Formats: sequence, C-alpha cells, structure tokens
Amino acid sequence: MARAAQKKRKEPEQDEDSKSAFAEAVRLEMLSDEEKHEGKEGGDEESDEEVDEFPEINAESDSRSDDEGDVEEEGDEGEDDEGSSPSDSESDSISDIFPKSKDIISEVTGHPKRVYPEIEPEYDSDSSTEDDPNRVGNIPSHWYDDLPHVGYDVNGKRVLRPAKGDELDKFLATVEDPTSWTSAWDKNTQMDKPLSPEELDIIRRLQAGENPDGGYDPYGPTVEWFTGKGKEEVMPLSAAPEPKRRWLPSKWEKQKIMKIVRAIRRGRIVGSKPKTAGDKPQLYDIWNEPPSNQPPPLPAPKPALPTHVESYNPPEEYLPTDAERKVWENTDLEDRKHDHLPQKYSSLRLVPAYDLFIKQRFNRQLDLYLAPRIQRTRLNIDPNSLIPNLPSPSSLRPFPNYCSLKFTHGNARVRCISTSPDGAWVVSGDDAGNVNLWEVNVGREISKWCFDGKIGAVEWCPRTDTSYFVVGTEDKLHFIVPPNLPSVILHATQSALAPAALPPATESPIKWSSSPGQEDGVILTILLPAVSGLTKQIAWHRKGDYLATVSNRESQGSVWIHQVSRRHSQAPFKKIKGAVQLVLFHPIKPHFFVATQRYVRLYNLAEQKLIKTLMPGIKWISSMDIHPSGDHVIVGGYDKKLCWFDLELNDKPYKILR
Amino acid sequence: MGRLKQKGKAGAAKAYMTRSAAVKKLQCSLADFRRLCILKGIFPREPRSRKKANKGSTAPTSFYYTKDIAYLAHEPVLNKLREHKAFAKKISRALGRGEWSIAKNLEDCKPTYRLDHIIKERYHTFIDAIRDIDDALCMIFLFASLPSNDRVSPSLIANCSRLAAEWQLYVMHSRFPQEGLPLHQRNILPGRNHGPGCHLARTISVYAESKIVAVFYNVRGTENTAFRYHQTVDVRVMLTFLELYQTLLGFVFFKLYTDAGLVYPPPLDASRDDAGAGIGAFSVHTVEKNIHISKSDNVGKTASTREVRQAIKTITADQSFVDEDVDIDSRDFAPKPSEVDEEFVVHPSGGEDAIPSLPTLQSLSETRKSTPTSLFSPYTFFLSRETSRTVFEFLIKSFGGRVGWPTSSGSGSPITESDDSITHVIVDRPVINKANESAEEKERRRKRKYVQPQWVVDCINAGKILVEDLYAQGTTLPPHLSPFGGKPGAYDPTVGLSHSEEVLAEEVPESEDGQSSEQNEAEEGVGGVVETVNVRDVDGAESLRAAELAAEAAGMEYGTFEKEVRKLQRKREKKEKAVDQGEEDMGKMLLSNKKRKLYERMKYGEKRRAAEVRLNDLSAFRVSNPLAARNFAEETEGDRPKATW
Repeated sequence: MARAAQKKRKEPEQDEDSKSAFAEAVRLEMLSDEEKHEGKEGGDEESDEEVDEFPEINAESDSRSDDEGDVEEEGDEGEDDEGSSPSDSESDSISDIFPKSKDIISEVTGHPKRVYPEIEPEYDSDSSTEDDPNRVGNIPSHWYDDLPHVGYDVNGKRVLRPAKGDELDKFLATVEDPTSWTSAWDKNTQMDKPLSPEELDIIRRLQAGENPDGGYDPYGPTVEWFTGKGKEEVMPLSAAPEPKRRWLPSKWEKQKIMKIVRAIRRGRIVGSKPKTAGDKPQLYDIWNEPPSNQPPPLPAPKPALPTHVESYNPPEEYLPTDAERKVWENTDLEDRKHDHLPQKYSSLRLVPAYDLFIKQRFNRQLDLYLAPRIQRTRLNIDPNSLIPNLPSPSSLRPFPNYCSLKFTHGNARVRCISTSPDGAWVVSGDDAGNVNLWEVNVGREISKWCFDGKIGAVEWCPRTDTSYFVVGTEDKLHFIVPPNLPSVILHATQSALAPAALPPATESPIKWSSSPGQEDGVILTILLPAVSGLTKQIAWHRKGDYLATVSNRESQGSVWIHQVSRRHSQAPFKKIKGAVQLVLFHPIKPHFFVATQRYVRLYNLAEQKLIKTLMPGIKWISSMDIHPSGDHVIVGGYDKKLCWFDLELNDKPYKILR
Repeated sequence: MGRLKQKGKAGAAKAYMTRSAAVKKLQCSLADFRRLCILKGIFPREPRSRKKANKGSTAPTSFYYTKDIAYLAHEPVLNKLREHKAFAKKISRALGRGEWSIAKNLEDCKPTYRLDHIIKERYHTFIDAIRDIDDALCMIFLFASLPSNDRVSPSLIANCSRLAAEWQLYVMHSRFPQEGLPLHQRNILPGRNHGPGCHLARTISVYAESKIVAVFYNVRGTENTAFRYHQTVDVRVMLTFLELYQTLLGFVFFKLYTDAGLVYPPPLDASRDDAGAGIGAFSVHTVEKNIHISKSDNVGKTASTREVRQAIKTITADQSFVDEDVDIDSRDFAPKPSEVDEEFVVHPSGGEDAIPSLPTLQSLSETRKSTPTSLFSPYTFFLSRETSRTVFEFLIKSFGGRVGWPTSSGSGSPITESDDSITHVIVDRPVINKANESAEEKERRRKRKYVQPQWVVDCINAGKILVEDLYAQGTTLPPHLSPFGGKPGAYDPTVGLSHSEEVLAEEVPESEDGQSSEQNEAEEGVGGVVETVNVRDVDGAESLRAAELAAEAAGMEYGTFEKEVRKLQRKREKKEKAVDQGEEDMGKMLLSNKKRKLYERMKYGEKRRAAEVRLNDLSAFRVSNPLAARNFAEETEGDRPKATW
C-alpha cells in the first residue's frame, strides 16, 4: 500500500522530466526504472513511513510545517521539476526519492529530531490517473523472452521489442559512452539505463559494508523515547489484579528449606570445616600400637654406594687414559659400565654442579615402581666346589698306554671281537666271512673258519666249564668249539651242545642242526628264518644257557631267544615298536632289555610284560651295558652322550655324561 | 578320571595380571594406577613363563600379582582418587560457566586423602621405616634445593627444606650417645649422594639414632642454582614419591624427636631465617614431660624404644653371619647398572626373624669401626667464606665441634673470626702472602691451623684426627677415598705398590718367552744340561744345589743357570696347569647343565674382577713408575686388559 502510494506520488515528476528531455520510449524506460529503483529502496521508504505512523512524528511534521513554510518547500520542488537538463532531472528525482531531512529541536520534548518534508496529497501525488508508460502491464517479462514483442497494450496491440544494436553497436557503446559501465539493463523498459550518482553511492556503501542510507548517522545522540526525566509512566499498563505470589511467602520454597534444615539437624549435611585446621597433616606416634601380624613387605633393594671411582679427588690410578676416555665416549649410554668418568679436582671449590642428579633420582624411582623384582637367593660358594671330587687320573694308573700285541688280519674289516671268559683267547669276525681265533699271550692266529657272507657278531659263551663261541652270519648261528681244548672241557662242551639224547623237538620255525663229527669245530648250527638277515648282536645270559640274537632286518622276528640245553628258540615279541638296536639279559632277574633307536624297554620275560621304558634322551642308541649287580644300566649314543640309569629310580637318567 | 583342567583357570594365568587388566579392574586411569602403585609400594613381577601368565601371548607387558591388585582395590585412597576425578569435573564445569561461588564451595570440599595407614602398612615397625628413609631424605634434600615452578609449588619446596633442616637439626642435636644403645649398630643410611643446598653431593651414612658413619664427597656436586628440571624427568612421578616421603619423614621425625624428648616440630624463628641463619633458625626445645605427656603415653614410648633396641639386637644377631654372606655374594654378582632385573634382587627374609637385612650397612659395620661422636669436641672451627657453610656446619657440629663463619655465609655465627678459641680455619683457596699483616694477625695465623675442607671429611671417615700438614692450605691433597670400600677382593688403593710391583715383576719375564728363536736354539744346548740335572726334581733345595754344582762343572754361568731353572719351573707350572685344566674339564663334564652354567658364570665374574684389579694395579704402577711402565707397555703390547670405563 505504502509503496504504491509512493509510486503514484513520484510518477508525475518523472513524466514532466521525460517530456522535456527524451522521446516517448525513452521516457517510458526512465519511468519504469524509477519505479524499480523505488522498489529497491522500499525498505527505507517504509521506515520513513513507519515513522510517520507514530503519533509523535505526526506532531513533529506538524511542528515542522509550522517552522518551514510548505510553500517554500513546494517551490523548491517546483523549481527542480522545471529543470530541463538530464543532469538536473536526475538530481531532481533524487531529491524526490530521498526527501531531505532536517534536524530540528522539538518543541515538545526539547530534543533534536529529524524531520522530513510533508507529503502533499495533491493531484500530482496520485499517479492513478496518469497513463502508464509501461503499456504491457505488470506481467513477468520472461513470458515474452523468445517473442518479438514484449506484451500487449491496453488496446490489445502488440508492443514490439525496441531494436537492440548488434554486438558491434554494444561494443561501440561501451567505448564511446563513458557512462556505459555505470548503466544497467532494465527489463521493463528493455534498455540500458545509467545509474544515478545516488545509486552508485548506495552501491559503494554496500560494498564498503556501510549503512546504505547516506543520511544515517551511526554516532547520533541517544534519543530517549520512554525513559528519562519527565517520561515516567504513572499509569499501569495492565489492569489485572496483582497475583498472590507477589505478597505471600512461597510454600514450596519453605518446604525445600525445611528439607535442608532437617538434613542439617540430622547431620546429613555438614557445613564446610574451617580451612586452617586441615591444611597440615597431623603427626602422631604411628608406631605406638603393636604392628599387625602380617609379614611386612619386602624392602626395596638399595642402590650401590659410591666407591673411590666417584670421588672428587680419586687416586691417580683411577683416572682414565686418553684411549680409555675415547672408548668410554664412544660407547652407548646403556652399554657403559660406569655412568661417569673419574675426574680429579685439585680443590673442592672447583667441583662443578652435577647436572644429572635429578635424573639419577628419577631413575631410581622408576626402578622402585616400574622394574619387576625377582627374589633370588645368592649362592656364596666357591665355584670349584660345584665340580664333583673325582679321583685324579694319575691315581688310577697304570693305564694301558702302549701297544703290546698286534693281530694282523686279512684285508676285510673286522666287525666283531670277543674274548673268552678266561681271557686267554680272542675271536674276531670280518666282512669277508673269516672268523679267526687268536691266542692272547702270543698274538698268534690259532685257527680260522670261513663262512659265506659277512660275520655280524661273535660272542663267547660265558660258561667256564665249557668253551665255545657263537658266530652270527646271514640267517645262521654257528656254535664253534675251539681246537686243542682239554679233554674234560671238550667233553663237557660236546655234551652241552650235542648231547647223545636230544631233547624233544619243539614246534619252531627255527631249526637246530648239529654236526658233531666235523673237524672244523662247528658243532651246532641254528637256521634262523630266511628273511631275518644278518645277525648283528648276540647277547648271552650270565649263566650261559640262554642267548638272544638280534638280526638287522627290521621285521618282527628280529629278536630271538635261544635255549641251548633245550635246543629251543622263541621270538619273545610278536610285534615291537621301532627298530631293535640291542638286547641285554638282566644278570639276576628274568628281565630283558631291548634298546630301540631312542628308548630302552625293560620286559619281564616270566610274566611277559613291559616293566618300564627308560628314556635316555639320546638320538640314536649305540651301546648298552648293565652292572653285574643288575641295578645300573649305562646307555651310550652316537651323539656323544652317555646315560647312567639307576633302575630303582625313575625312567630318567640319573646322570648324563657328555 | 578327574575333572578336566581348563586353561587359564589356575596357576600362573590366575596369579598374574597384566597392567592393562589391572587398570581395567581397578576402574581408574593409568596415571591413578601408577600413583597407587607408588604409594602402596606395588611393583611388577616377572613370571617364570610370560607365555603361561599371558594366555599364550609373549607380548611385552608388565605383570602384577593378582593379589596385589586385589589389595589395591580395597585401598581407601583409590576411592579418594575417584572422588577427586568427579571433583575435577565439577570444578571445571563451574569454572567454565563462570559460577565462582559454586567453584569456591567445591574447592572448599575438595577431597583429600591421608597416607597414615599406608605408612603403617608399608613400615610395620619404626626400624622398617628408618631403614627406608635414605631414598626419602635424598628426595627431600633434592627438592629443598630446586626452584619452584608451575608444577612444583613454593609451599612444597618450603616444606621440603623444613624437613631437611629438621633432619640435620636432629642429627646435630643427638650426637651424644644414648645410654644403653648398642653403638656399633648401624641401621640408618640416609642422605646418600646429597646434601642440603650443598656445594657438593655428599654421602652421609648414619646409624642407629642418627650417628654419622661416613662422609664421602664425590664429583656429583650440586650447586643450588644449577639444578634444572630435565626434559626426560616426569615430575608427576617425583611428586607422588615426594608426597609419600614427606609423610614418612614427618612421622619418623616426630618419633625421633619425641623419643629424644624434644618438641616436634621445632619452632622456627622467622627473623633469623630471613637473615640466613639456616639451621640456626630452628630452636630445639625439650619437652617437659610431666606437663605435656600423660603417664600412659610415657609408658608406651619407653616400651617402643625398648622394642627398637630389641629389634636392633636381633638384627645384629641374625645379620652378623647370614647377611654378610648374602651381601658379599650380591656384590660378587654385581650386575651392570643397565640390567634392571638383576639389580633388584630382593634379599629374602625369614619367617620368624622377619626384619629384613640391610647388607650394605652390615658390610659397613664389618669394615669400619664407628667414629666417636665427640671427634671434634676439643676444637673450634672457622669456615672461610668459599666453603659450604651448611655442609661443614652440619658435619662439624655433628661431631661435637664448635663452628663459626663470616657474615657473608649467613648470620648467627657464635664466634667471630678474631676469636682466640679458633683452632682450625677451613680454607679452600690458594695461599696469598699478605704484606701488611699486623703482629696480632701474624700471631693468630701462627696459632691456628689452616686446612682444606677434605680434612674434615677424611677425619670423620678415619675416625680420628689426621695430621693437618697433608691438608694444609695450598698443598696438593691426598686422594679422597670412599669409606664404603669395595667388594672383597677388589682393588684397594691404600695397599702399597709393593704388591703390584711384585705382580708385574713376575709378569715381565713372562713376556720374554717370545724371544728370537735363534737365541733359544743357542741356549738349547746349555738348557739341555740343566734339564738333565733338573728334570728329576727342582723342588728340593738340596737337589737344586746339586744341579747348580753340576752346571758349574759343565761350565755354565750362574746367570744363565738361574734363567734356565726359572724357565724350567715355569714350564713345569704350565704343565701342571694343563693337567689341572684337564681334570677340571673332566669334572665339568659330570655337571648338570644348570650347575655347569652357574659354574661358568661364577668363573666369568672371578676373571672379570681379577682383570679389574690387575688393571688398577697396572695404572698404579704406571703412575708411580712411568718409565718402567712404558717399557712394560711396549713389551706387553695388546696384552693389557680392556679398559672398563
């Protein structure tokens, strides 16, 4: 409403302007531009009008009209309107848009105030009767963007779009016309319209972030509208009766306070204690009461006390040489044995400050609370006392330390050797199948037997009343009686190996065949099963009646126990775990040791069950023997270990020798 | 078949707890956990197998006993720490909102905790506490000399310096032996490495009822102004320790003072303190017992002192034999400082005689006799201004001397420089001849002894008054040796050079073995004669004489004969050694792995110690006899043991 009124008020002036200066089209444009501009400035105008609406403003305007003659104002305007030059018209229109305000002293309040010229409700001010230069009406112009006309006039005729120059014209216009860069396209009038200096000023102000109103004074004096002397409001704004809460004490507040009071009375709320008392810790004899019966915590270990090295004036010999100093400086902080180099000062006053003291204390504290502590008992013993007291090797003399006899064998390798129980004879077997009998005293070969294939084992019978030995070859065992025996022994041997009355034959895959008449001394042969392979070990029982053999084919029938008196052989194990390396008879009990590659098993032959498994921890067992008492076993291995088992202890070695 | 054992339900998996698990269980921050650990004395443990303790993981973590953590969980201080956390949130909220009055109210009800019960738990008896105050005193003295900053408040520093002064005051005051107290006991060892604002760090060992045993100056000097906070030092940790130590020392001093019949805390004269009187600003007052202490209190106190004495007696009885062993052995195995694990070997304490041992002290008492506390009582000292007054005032007064100082070192000196009673002047500057001395001054100079500060300290360590001439002003001082001695078998600088010379003299000819082969061959013929003579036996003096005669008959010179004999002897020794070595090797074969390793470790330690002694011997030899040393060095190039610095 207000805007429309303004528009109407201004239009006649514009009309006159344009009439005098421009052609019709131009005038039309000017006018429309003006209108648009007004729209822009609407805010300002509105504020002005709002001011108008205040009763006081009215009063002011009244007073103002009193001060300055309306006529004079009119006259001014009239003069302006009549000015014919375009520049004049611009300034004129400006003066219309922004009516000049005046600061005057209000008669009523006695304060300075700004007064605007009054709007004359004349015929001029009403534009409704004017013909609108915009003949197409207030329609969105983009409707006709792609049409040759811009709309229709009142009579329904097309209003054609004014001719636009081509690009060259546009360019020429920018070159020739100095105001072209301050002009803007107006859609309503369809042409460029130069901006007025006021508009430019507004643009500049907006750019500078100032108030767009040129006349606005940000530092103007405060205007007290409702406060100050003489402006006190006496009458109440509202006629409502005053509520009760204004003059009655609050019930809820009372309840809350009573709650706190009760809490204080009952001691639930305690007032803050006086500050001075609690500041210092109260000291008393803390160790007066008897200590608790719990064990006290272990005290922390003490750091080492300083030694001569740390003296400020150490003996000369503690001072490092240059080389030592260099070495110390080049070692890392962690690797240094001492954390500082000894240094000598001739006088106490020359000793400098020790910079790392705080660091040292800190490290100590880190040790105290971050380092894990291990409880460890220290051994204070002579290291030599750890070594067992062995008899000196010199006390064990004489050692066999020179070669007394040498038996020269054939070309083949000797694989096995055995001495007779009386120690007078030695029998040896080699890879070529030769078995030689030597006399120990003279070192002479007494006799020689030839067999097919390698000789795996040779063992003399431990019986002293007889004299024979057993030779193990491929799948066969030969019992041989050495030549030149005393007749008593020879007889006993023959009766033991080839008795006149043979014991009843038993069912066995093994054949005992005696050939007593042979001259070469092979008195008895045992044929082992064909696949059993080379006999690699022969173990006699202490009494000389039983012997056990181990063959190198790792099948189930590798171990056999033969009984000479009954001419009976049996395989003690149906199945055995691992490859049997060695077997051994217990000297007293009916026990039988079987060594596989890694374990030694002890079987009870009478009860036919496993007693225990000895675990020597050797990679590959090479040898085994038992003490005549039957309690101690030693087991040797190819990995240079020797284990000593006490059979009364557990299955772990009592001692391991390396 | 019994129940199946589940993994992680028993044994190490239950007994140990990782640190993060502990923090989680206690529901506190890591910083609070550390704080608790420091206050309660809980430290990590090393499980036998980290894998078993940590669910099969070998990640590097620290482990705590689960029981220790359970013990921490019941700690009232932990609750207080939680309350403090809530308080910190509340107050920061109030401050952020600008609610000053609420913030002030909150500040007034700030949760605080007391450490009395922790002190009681950690130190069951007074003896336990006394034994552990060396670390505490070090920290107190350190902080007493530090500047304050935003983390370390001036009031804290002031409290530390007060405690330090109280300690010194007590030691100075109670130098008179307490009747009935076994004087040869030493069970306190505080003040290690440090003194109050002292010119130098010093080591003071004090035994029962605060008797100074030994003083030792080392290079770790500490000038007041030179202390700085290091970047690598976590002040939080130090402050937590300090908190504990302040409380501990408070209670200890209270007990010490009250047992000595003194008022604790000793009143401080502010005006004298301002004038720089130092310890003199404190005054010692005896308690008038019938007024201040009730009868029952009195009974309790005497009982407790008796207990203390009893405890000390039991300590000596137990320690005299056992602890020495332990100590010596711990020194035998003395690890490198870097090996933290090794360093913290806890000496086990038996069940009945539960008072744990203090090996260092025991060894001290073995090696040193006690210094009479009235060592300096006939003398009066005057400290010249370049000496550290606080240290020497403390030392001299503790041993009964009178001491004065110029006003530039602070006020409160009982005597002036012109006092006739002064017997010793402690100066630390070169001699300057004054031209215009009055007769009186000359006379005074003649009467007094001018000694360097080291004299005082060496006198205390020696337990007697040493000859002053060695320490006279301007002379080169004799070496200052540590009273704490070394490990048994370590190099002793006080032993004369004779021993080392012998050693070296033996060593030198050995190096001749590498003589030119030609010479050896030339002597072969001669040597043959001797050998034929001597091979039978050189041991007997008679046979040696016979051999000598035979050699003379063969036309051999006496010098060459002797040489040959020595050579033969050495050869024989070598052979014997080889035989011994063979026997040792055989013995070693019989050892179990564990024992063999132990044996080798012990042997290694022995060898290293021997090398150290030899090194010092060599140095001493070098110092005393540079020319011979050079010759020797040329001969035994590369033979020298590696430097240990």
